[in-house]
Amino acid sequence: MAEMTLTVNGATRTVDVAPDTPLVYVLRNQFMLGGVRLGCGMSQCGACAVLVDGREVRSCVTLASRVAGSKIHTIEGLPALWAEAREGTAAGGLHPVQQAWIDEQVPQCGYCQSGMMIAAVDLLARVPSPSVAQIREAFTDAPPSPHLCRCGTYPAIIDAVQRAARAMAL
Amino acid sequence: MISTPTLTRRQFVKAGGALVVSASLPSLSSRGSVEAAGSTLDATKLASWIEIHDDGRLLVRTGKIETGTGMSAFYAQVVAEELRVRPEVISLVLGHTDETPDGGFSAGFLTGANNLRKVAAYTYQALLDLAAGALNAPKDALAVTDGVVSGGGRRISYAGLVRGQRLELTIPIGGSLPALDPGQPTGLSGLTGLQVSGTPPTREIPQYSVIGESFPVPTVAERVRGDTEWVGDVRLPGMLHARMVRPSAVGATLVRAGSVDRARFPNAEVVTKGNLVAVVSPDEWEAVAAARAVAASTTWSDWSGLPGHDEVTATLRAQPWGAPSHERGDAAKVSAALSAAAKTVEASYEQPFTRHAPMGAYVAVADVRRDGSATVHTASAQSQGLRVQIAHALGVDVEKVVVRWHQGPAQYGRTTWGGDGAEGDAAILSQLVGSPVRVQWTIQEDLAWSTVSPAWVADVKGALDTEGRLSAVHSDWYAPHENDARLLGALLAGAPSVTPLATNRVSTVWAYEKIPVLERAFAMPSLGADATSAGLRGNIMRTPWQRQQNFATEALINEAAAAAGADPIQYRIDHTTNPRLIELLRATAKEAGWDPRPSPRPGARRTGGGLLAGRGVAVMIRSDAPWVAIAEVTVAPDTGEVRVTRFTVGLDCGKVMNPRQLRLTVQGGIVQGLGEALTEEVTFDRQKVTSTDWTRYRIPTMGSTPDIRMVITSYDDRGINSAGEAPNALPPPAVAAAIFDATGVPPRRIPLTAAYVKKLLSA
Ligand code: FES
Ligand code: FES
Repeated sequence: MAEMTLTVNGATRTVDVAPDTPLVYVLRNQFMLGGVRLGCGMSQCGACAVLVDGREVRSCVTLASRVAGSKIHTIEGLPALWAEAREGTAAGGLHPVQQAWIDEQVPQCGYCQSGMMIAAVDLLARVPSPSVAQIREAFTDAPPSPHLCRCGTYPAIIDAVQRAARAMAL
Repeated sequence: MISTPTLTRRQFVKAGGALVVSASLPSLSSRGSVEAAGSTLDATKLASWIEIHDDGRLLVRTGKIETGTGMSAFYAQVVAEELRVRPEVISLVLGHTDETPDGGFSAGFLTGANNLRKVAAYTYQALLDLAAGALNAPKDALAVTDGVVSGGGRRISYAGLVRGQRLELTIPIGGSLPALDPGQPTGLSGLTGLQVSGTPPTREIPQYSVIGESFPVPTVAERVRGDTEWVGDVRLPGMLHARMVRPSAVGATLVRAGSVDRARFPNAEVVTKGNLVAVVSPDEWEAVAAARAVAASTTWSDWSGLPGHDEVTATLRAQPWGAPSHERGDAAKVSAALSAAAKTVEASYEQPFTRHAPMGAYVAVADVRRDGSATVHTASAQSQGLRVQIAHALGVDVEKVVVRWHQGPAQYGRTTWGGDGAEGDAAILSQLVGSPVRVQWTIQEDLAWSTVSPAWVADVKGALDTEGRLSAVHSDWYAPHENDARLLGALLAGAPSVTPLATNRVSTVWAYEKIPVLERAFAMPSLGADATSAGLRGNIMRTPWQRQQNFATEALINEAAAAAGADPIQYRIDHTTNPRLIELLRATAKEAGWDPRPSPRPGARRTGGGLLAGRGVAVMIRSDAPWVAIAEVTVAPDTGEVRVTRFTVGLDCGKVMNPRQLRLTVQGGIVQGLGEALTEEVTFDRQKVTSTDWTRYRIPTMGSTPDIRMVITSYDDRGINSAGEAPNALPPPAVAAAIFDATGVPPRRIPLTAAYVKKLLSA
């Protein structure tokens, strides 16, 4: 076993796990964050995506020990992340990506959607007003994509990303 | 069962605030009146279905579940409509066998909605009776808005009516809960559960106000915040994590289980029963890592009972099929028309194995206690059927088993018969180790060991008269059956299982009343089933039987239209009298900018460079709802690559429950169907499935998703037809027709991969 100190959604904690434990298991079982979903476990689907220092990372193939010292965010931490970015003005509300996901009613079963929202936050941080082609590229071809959804919510995701982009530009 | 409603207000007693609990009436259910702890609620008691609380909130219970298409919104809307309340005041209890009354599968919204509509209507009448007394006004002079009854110049809320009251009402119930039944295709009867009978007054569709609004799906916001408790999130005290070590081949048997290296994995243990092998540990990652190590040192017998995926069609063709297991139509008329035909069109169509392929693999938690009682946590769409199968596998009375439902990745029909899944593994392991056990399958395991939608071949023949009109269609459809919902864990452990029968069904709704038709479905056991192997277990998948059979008959209609030199939309209009279908064909054609002309298009070619454009149409009727799909594609003849550039879908499902949610579900279903049209195929060698990750079982991506347009109109005079399930059936025949249009070559197999299309064009 190995002790490692992780900062997740703004809280820092030391956990004692096997040194080769992937981040997804630590977030789910030690930090009890159910917003992190286990999908393929092979970096092929995106269900497990989280933010590490603001960029999307596949937690199923990332050793927890590798991200000690980084800032890790799951969807549970997106509201605070947004509040911080806006210097607290949006505290209590949801991240605009989350709000857009609700407004567009994106999830069907929802299993893939944590990863989809993480990918959207990553994309919008780099490309504040993405075109449809840029969104398609980000969710299909740009590493670590693809992000897969068996319920076929892709058109709704495109609408929601654009809605979130408008909200974040205000 | 009794056929008329019995509404009996027996007594009102102080009950501390919440109305409608019932205990003293004799049960009208065939299962007797005693409710042991853990038993299913008595469906004859209205209070088992709806509780009205004195804060104005309503609790509604049903054994149906949220399948991921918005059921939790629709159920709230249906109840709210009949009770004249806002759907926001309704909370739902779904799927738990010990907290709901009815059971039944969740394969569409109508099966659940019919029960809830009636229980809400019965409750409404009871509340009006109460209000008439309280307001001292005649019942028929009362009006209700948002849960407030007014009459005689006074008002009282439902909350006010029920405060401190206890009301007992019984309602008539038909049907039965699941039970072992060797005569049934799945080995289980009662899978549709209990039905509320009688005819309480219900609202007419034109009066609807809550039904028809885009009420948000209650589960959406919780998913977005990360608050959902998924089945994989269930944690019980003392729970062990398990990972399975599966046989090296579908029918291989255990020779020797590997052992755990104690130095590396101090808390892990190997558990076996028959061919069921697992590694358990209190730590999930230890279970994962130790299972990998144990798998490497476990030995299995040789088995090679599969034909290999390239041999599937030949294998099906070589089967001794015998008599059809189901048929429909007019054999005499069809054979007369075929012998009198001026010309016949004839073709064989086929599809390899496909699968449901949810984004999350099966996961379940089971707690089997020393006294034989068991609780199983599942995301199954058939809690009561699962309960029976678990009890059977464990050898305990069904009353000792409680199944609790949680959200899960959408299953697309694979749990509708109450099995498949990790629940069998979890229950058997828990019984063996004496602790709660959580079994998480891997995606590789799920893509190899879960049930499949069987491969099929179909022979279709049409008789054309001298004017090119179809005077008969005969279609024969051959496939392994789709009834195997046995629990994998029970099968591997050698525990008792139900016995599925090799039967198939004709499931199309024939859209062309002017054409006499004979449709026959033939069945065989699962491919690779033998003494040690269940083979590739066939199971239903979204729009079962119909989507495969409809592909074959729609493809033939397109070939017949081409033979007749007719526009394929006009050709369909000429062969049907269904006014809703005709109207929808015209509306969808208009939306797609359809230019009437025969297919293939002028200039269609099968060779050369560049991109060819094509467009194709297909229709389907499911329940009473007509569907029309128009696909537009480009084909690169030199590579065979197909791109769907635009997809237009028309639907007339009568009254639309929830317009936004319907559009989202239809859109998603089209995307799913495009996967079946273009890429999806389960591959296997002689031992095992080989399409075991997302690069080998290829589902649609955002990049491959076309612009999807929808033509959906809500009507008040056409009933409420089912709508959300069917769209996945539309893309395969429409895309195939579009390739035919572009190239002049009719594809007769899906998926339309580049390799297949290239081969087709160069043949
Ligand atoms: S679970 Fe990590 S990418 Fe699929
Ligand atoms: S919403 Fe079901 S997998 Fe994406």
